[in-house]
Parts: sequence; C-alpha cells; structure tokens
Amino acid sequence: MSNIINSLYNIRLLDDLARKETAIHKIHPLMKLLTTVVYLTVVVSFGKYEIGSLLPLFFYPVMVFALAELPVKPILLRVLFVAPLIIGIGILNPLFDHQVFYLGGITISRGWVAFFSIFIKCGLTVTAAMLLIATTGMDGLAAALRMLKIPRLFVLQLLLTYRYISVLMEEVARILRAYSLRAPEQKGVHRNAWGSLAGQLILRTFDRAQRVYEAMCLRGFTGEYNTGGYERIRVWDLAYLAGWVSFFAITKIYNIPMFIGSLLTGVVK
Amino acid sequence: MSHHKLEVKDLHYIYPDGHKAVNDMSFCIYHGESVGIIGANGAGKSTLLMLLMGVLFPCQGEVIVGDVHVTKKTLPFIRQRLGMVFQDPDDQLFMTTVYDDVAFGPRNYKLEEKEVENRVLQALDIVGILHLKDRAPFKLSGGEKRAAAIASVLSMQPDILVMDEPTAGLDPKSRRRVMGLLKSFEHTRIITSHDLDMVFDLCERTIVIKDGEIAAQGLTSEILVNAELMDSCGLEVPLALQNCPVCGIRKTVKQPRKKGNDETP
Ligand SMILES: Nc1ncnc2c1ncn2[C@@H]1O[C@H](COP(=O)(O)OP(=O)(O)OP(=O)(O)O)[C@@H](O)[C@H]1O
Ligand SMILES: [Mg+2]
Repeated sequence: MSNIINSLYNIRLLDDLARKETAIHKIHPLMKLLTTVVYLTVVVSFGKYEIGSLLPLFFYPVMVFALAELPVKPILLRVLFVAPLIIGIGILNPLFDHQVFYLGGITISRGWVAFFSIFIKCGLTVTAAMLLIATTGMDGLAAALRMLKIPRLFVLQLLLTYRYISVLMEEVARILRAYSLRAPEQKGVHRNAWGSLAGQLILRTFDRAQRVYEAMCLRGFTGEYNTGGYERIRVWDLAYLAGWVSFFAITKIYNIPMFIGSLLTGVVK
Repeated sequence: MSHHKLEVKDLHYIYPDGHKAVNDMSFCIYHGESVGIIGANGAGKSTLLMLLMGVLFPCQGEVIVGDVHVTKKTLPFIRQRLGMVFQDPDDQLFMTTVYDDVAFGPRNYKLEEKEVENRVLQALDIVGILHLKDRAPFKLSGGEKRAAAIASVLSMQPDILVMDEPTAGLDPKSRRRVMGLLKSFEHTRIITSHDLDMVFDLCERTIVIKDGEIAAQGLTSEILVNAELMDSCGLEVPLALQNCPVCGIRKTVKQPRKKGNDETP
C-alpha cells in the first residue's frame, strides 16, 4: 500500500524538477513552448513507414535530458503509462497491413513497420511534453500560453485541472493510508469497501476543492491566475529556438541517416 | 478609524442540512482590539468566522465591516480588509512552493513583482520560515504548514486579522513566536482557540460561544476565571489561573486579589 501512496505523492515530481536551475530551465518559457510545438509537428509529419528518418529526432529529448539534468527513469516511467493506449491505437496495423518489404534478404511486414513508427512517434511526443513541463513548470507554461494570447479561461482551466489532480491524489493517499492502517493484513482494498471509499473520495475532494477555492477567493482571486512577471526574452532564448528549429527542419528535409550511411559506404568504397 | 470596526447584528446561520450552527449572535469589535472567541468543539466558532469573511452568507442578520455590509457585491472590498487563516492549513496552501503561495495574495492585487517579493520575504521572516521558501507546501510538517498559512495572509497586510486556532499543533517555541507575532500586530485581531492560556495572554476581550449562541462576553480577565461559566460551556479555567498543582497555592492574576491569598510562605 505504501507503494501506491508513494507513487501518488510522486505526481508532483514534475513540479519539483521544474524548480531546478539549469541552463535549460532558465530559457524563456515561450521559447521552450514554441520549440516543443515545432518538434511535435515535425515528429508527426513523417510518413507511416519512415522509421529511419525519425531517428535523428531522438537527439532532442536526449539533449534536454542531459542539459537539464533530469532523471531519465521516472520520466520514462510516466511515458510508459500511455503505452497501452499507443499499443491500442497501433496494433491494428500489423493485423490489416500484410504487405511486406524486403530489406537485404529479410522480409519485414509493413504493418509492423507502421506499428513501430506509431509507437516511436507517440513515445517521442509524450516525452517532449513531459520534458516541457519538467523544465518549465505548469505556471511558466501558463504564462507562455497567455503571451501567445490564448484566452484566459482556457489557461485557467488547464492550471486548475492540473492543481485539482494533485488535490484528488492527496485525498486518495490519505484515504488509503487510513484504510491500510486499520486493515493491516490485507493486500489492496477489500471489495466490500470499494463503494464507500469511492463515495467518500468524491465527497471529500469536492469539499476540499470548495475550501481551497474559498481560500483563494479570500486572498483576492478573481479569475486571473497571476504567476509573477517573466523576464524579457533574451537573444540567447531566441538562439535556442532558432537552433532547434533549424535542426528539425534539416531532419525533415534531408534524410540524415541515409546521408550518413551513404557517406560511410562512400568512404568504405 | 471607524473603517476597522466590525459589527455583527442578529446573526443566524443554518447549514443546508438543517443544522443550526449560529443562532442570534450580536457583538461589536472596535479598531485595534484583540478578541478571543472560545467554545467547545462544534460550538460554531469556525462557522462564525466564515460568516465574517463572507465565505458563508447569513440566513438572517448582517455583518458590517466599517460602514460596509458584507454582501456578494462588497466582497472584494471586505477581503482586502480582512485576512483569514484557516483551521486546516492544507486548505490554504495549494501552489507549488511556499514562496508562490505567500505571493498569491499580493499578486492578485496586481502589485509590482519587486513589492511582492518584499512582502513575501518579510512575511516569511516574521513567522520564521524564510529557509522553507522553496519547499513544496505539502511536504512540510503540520506546524510549518501553519506558519506558511499565516505568512500567506500577512503578506496581504490586512487591517483585521481573523485566525481559526492559530496555535493548534505548534511546538512550544513556535507557539510563543506566533503569540509574540500576534501581540505585535497593532490592528484588530479575532482569534478562536482552545488554547485558553493564549487567549488570556493575547485578548483583552473574550466571547464565549455555546451551541451557536453567545453565552457570555466581556473582559477576558473576568470571563476566564469564572469557573462555573467555563464549565457549563465545556471549557476550563486556563492552567495559568488555576491553583499550583504542586503546592496548591493560588497564583497571582493581573488584578490584585484578597490580601491573605497573595502572600507566599
Ligand atoms: N458543512 C457543514 N454542514 C453541516 N453542518 C456543519 C458543517 N460544518 C459544520 N457543521 C456543524 O456546525 C456546527 C459548528 O461547527 P464549527 O465548525 O463552526 O465548530 P467549531 O466551533 O469551529 O468547532 P472546533 O472547535 O471543533 O473547530 C457543528 O455542530 C458542525 O457539526
Ligand atoms: Mg473550528
């Protein structure tokens, strides 16, 4: 049970990570947001069977992981949460697409190639989104969205949903802890208690959310979520954006792995 | 300064489930006064504070801050004047860092970021948790959370400070610090507590609540020594005023007692 509680508490890991002070963290939120958007667009734009040309795009998450000094395992674990979803989406490909490739004497099913390409694309996009939050933080992200003139209501919705998830999780953690302390011999929660636990959870989170909201109103909250000013965009921030965008453009226009391959084979010849 | 006066007239409140939590309360609190509100568990103290802050609206009667009635329309004004520390600090802290939490109020008033920073650091310093400013609130201990919650209200620099059990769950040193802090605050204070020694120390005036009604109000030094009244309201005469448990000698209270009692052997 303590494992569940621990992992629930870890939901705020991304917030904790976002508070680091590496070079990446210091880059302006807007630039990181734009970089991520361009990255996502490029990743998604590759065709169904183009696994090879996707490979250079791994460079971006690897670089961010390294420069921002982020722990790889916990973040990839979170990406794995969506793996079942990805498999659900992609699994029909090998079932219906029976055509095959011949690659150096090996037969490869086109369906499986498409499946892996979907798998890689989803993995990359989800990772990129996680990295954005882990290096910028939800508040920074919200500020960036507001700079892009996204309506206040949407941004607020996003932020409060994010906050509410952790309120919900904490309430779950407390209920489970209270339960497990008085049911020491059990693994998990007994079926008989599910109903009342779930009911409790809904009522308590409602109540809690209500009180949190009241506390916010008492401190002058009127619908605008102020996260403090942001420094101006510096040349270095722009350079960061420009650097990555040109890299993504190159990977899109030229097939780098093929290029390197032909270069190598050229040398060998 | 009449705008710091707080007046409650014929206040009634019934919870949606039919529970009568506040029943016909009237009192007036003047500028600079420090008033303790005491009563047993479930007496209706927290409910009363919620009514003062305009979190709940009375079924009958009214709350007046200065010359302004507490209604939905005047809430922004009321909330700039009154700052409230909740009974459960978890309800109050929701940002990712203590700093952001304390800055939440001032930022809502659109202050310059420099001024916000000043206020936040000052508030954190007053409650003595400057070193915790970058920590996540949900990872703090109970007492640290309470200190953070108090700071988050102080940073708004309210005229009237409303506190629901400010010293509950604090260690003796932190309790002393909070008490010292409340003492140094020169504006109006309304404090509910079960810590009667603190009420005796801090509040000139006390309102005793029993089952949603005012059982007594008056000078703290008169009310808290009234053993009969205290007992009937589910309370006790504070330790500081009881006979010494070791030698049974009556301790001296602020005002002089009968001559014979005062002499020490
Ligand atoms: N949301 C609610 N719905 C219905 N009844 C409530 C609600 N909140 C409180 N009450 C009831 O109102 C009464 C007064 O509650 P209140 O929280 O004001 O007590 P209190 O004096 O603050 O007690 P404590 O010293 O334990 O904090 C209690 O009998 C309680 O059961
Ligand atoms: Mg209470």
